[in-house]
Amino acid sequence: MSSGVKPGKYFVQGDEAIAEGAIAAGCRYFAGYPITPSSETSEALARRLPEVGGICMQMEDELASIHSVAAASVGGLKSMTVSSGPGISLKLEGLGWGIKNEIPFVVVDVQRAGPSNGVATRVGQGDFYTVRYGSAGGNYCLIALSPKSTQEAFDLTIECFNLSEIFRCPVFLLTDETVGHTRELLVIPEESELKIVERIKPAVPPEQFLMYPLETPEVIHYPFPNIGEGYGICVSPYTHTSKGYASTTQEIQEKMARRLVLKITRNLDRLVRVETRYTEDANFAVVAYGGNARPAMAAVDLAREKGMKVGFFRPIIVWPFPDGEVLKIAEKVKTILVCELNIDGQLSREVDRAARGKAEVYHLGSGGVEPHLPSQIFNEIRRLSA
Amino acid sequence: MSTDGETTQSLHPLVSKYLRKERMPHMACPGCGIGQILHATLLAIDDLGLTPKDTVWVQGVGCSSRITYSTWIGDNIDAHHGRIFPVATGLKMARPDMNFILFTGDGDCGAIGGNHFIHACRRNLDVTAILFNNGIYGMTGGQVAPTSPVGAVTTTTPYGNIEDPFDMCRLAMAAGASYVARWRSTDFRPLFNSIKKGIQTRGLAFIEVLVQCPTNFGRYVLKTSEPKEVLRWIREHSIYMKDAENLSPEELDGKYLLGEFLHRTDRVGIVDRYQEFLKKYRKD
Repeated sequence: MSSGVKPGKYFVQGDEAIAEGAIAAGCRYFAGYPITPSSETSEALARRLPEVGGICMQMEDELASIHSVAAASVGGLKSMTVSSGPGISLKLEGLGWGIKNEIPFVVVDVQRAGPSNGVATRVGQGDFYTVRYGSAGGNYCLIALSPKSTQEAFDLTIECFNLSEIFRCPVFLLTDETVGHTRELLVIPEESELKIVERIKPAVPPEQFLMYPLETPEVIHYPFPNIGEGYGICVSPYTHTSKGYASTTQEIQEKMARRLVLKITRNLDRLVRVETRYTEDANFAVVAYGGNARPAMAAVDLAREKGMKVGFFRPIIVWPFPDGEVLKIAEKVKTILVCELNIDGQLSREVDRAARGKAEVYHLGSGGVEPHLPSQIFNEIRRLSA
Repeated sequence: MSTDGETTQSLHPLVSKYLRKERMPHMACPGCGIGQILHATLLAIDDLGLTPKDTVWVQGVGCSSRITYSTWIGDNIDAHHGRIFPVATGLKMARPDMNFILFTGDGDCGAIGGNHFIHACRRNLDVTAILFNNGIYGMTGGQVAPTSPVGAVTTTTPYGNIEDPFDMCRLAMAAGASYVARWRSTDFRPLFNSIKKGIQTRGLAFIEVLVQCPTNFGRYVLKTSEPKEVLRWIREHSIYMKDAENLSPEELDGKYLLGEFLHRTDRVGIVDRYQEFLKKYRKD
């Protein structure tokens, strides 16, 4: 199959950049169900995937989409699905199947204002915890990346695919309507400049291979044999032994749960990616992620122009949460203002937890529909600095 | 129910050839009909010369699936409850060259996965789906199913079931499957032939098997734990198509029709269509 990479400069939406990122990463199976504001990704892939010999399916619902995507990955194709709030609620079931069976694939959540159907066409940031903790049963960690621009939507989609192969797990691209629908410059580099991680295959014969490395829970870059490769793989919804056989013992449950958590928590150094600005001398920090990071950065620039010592912090890999990086900021500044598009306080709760009382953490929330205005954020910075 | 333990008895040659010895004996209750269906399936696989390298077993959730899961010496893919058809869709689209044999139950396929089943039939996905219909939720302990007969007393219908049961074969035919048949677990030869034909059919093959469940259907609906009593009930409530020809609708009420209902060779499924489609639009 061809790489499908089309180097050049494009003026496109974030949703379309995600589609191109997926193609470049080697995605050759996509299944979705129409939902605003993510449908542009499905539409772009419906045009592009057949060109590169890939498969694009519109399934009967969100459950079918994610389950078929996970299965196509077991079949040997890099795969992806996209959705938004109400659809993500449904996809969480298939996510659990992917997490438990350590199946690499990518789920894109283009967040919109919620709860329930909310405002379908407008932005929100209410799924921060949903993607991390939504799959029932606990006993797992999850990786999620969040872009702030069309360019990052492309770059981070590729990174999601790479991390899903390295860690053998579903990875979220947690974006939002602002990024999804913002039309701006996308530069697609030459194929040779892209770093693509291919699926790792067993180096040992089937009789020596264990599908699930329960005895070495921290190991990453672990092979994933697909069906038809002679490894007799077992994939199921049940707690499994190293071979994939269902088990009801506490010992196996413990080992499997530890594997699903420790493969991520013991490799956290591979999973820290943040953006900081003006933090060296700051006594006040603004924290935001995704599309809402842009008005937040504009507000910080405005504050700097007024001579205020304000810094900016943005998690790019939002899960696992960059506790250490947040703590470093909290130790420097007196006040942290978290700007996000939900009223209940999600990112701000994580920041508050990670700050360990070293700084005062404030939540500037909004129910969504519009992103924050730089002036709103600036006024809050001024109010809290007074 | 036995989940582990050493197998000391000599194994059936088909078991030795195609099933994982460490997974034997399987979990089926005494008197359950799943073993008969497995036998017919293995014989069909053997007859057609399918191998662990080219054939995958796909399961859902329920007795049909839990008992067959991770017994095949090739790849075993077990889906969440009801998601067997989406999982089979992803697998088959990724590997159109491989054979997929699906084991599903009446709850898995007729209730929680009903919509997926309809759409898999509509797409005419090229897989062989064997539905184990025991008329009740067996694995969870005897709750009413969408296939339970009217009046059936179950743990969740203590006053008797007031809903009509699904005819899954008619559903499959209406939705677009290529091959549709229904047999009893005791109709060994026709069942074996149907599974063989199903595997050879391009498009979705759906084979429903009425399977005796003494543990739950027997206990709650028929008030017996005797397998032969459950088999007797199934015999009294089913009739071969040729024997039904001259009977009135009233005489056929509450009876399962048995036979090969549909065998279409003219209808192309999604797998073939996608390959044709790719020839046209592929640019690399």
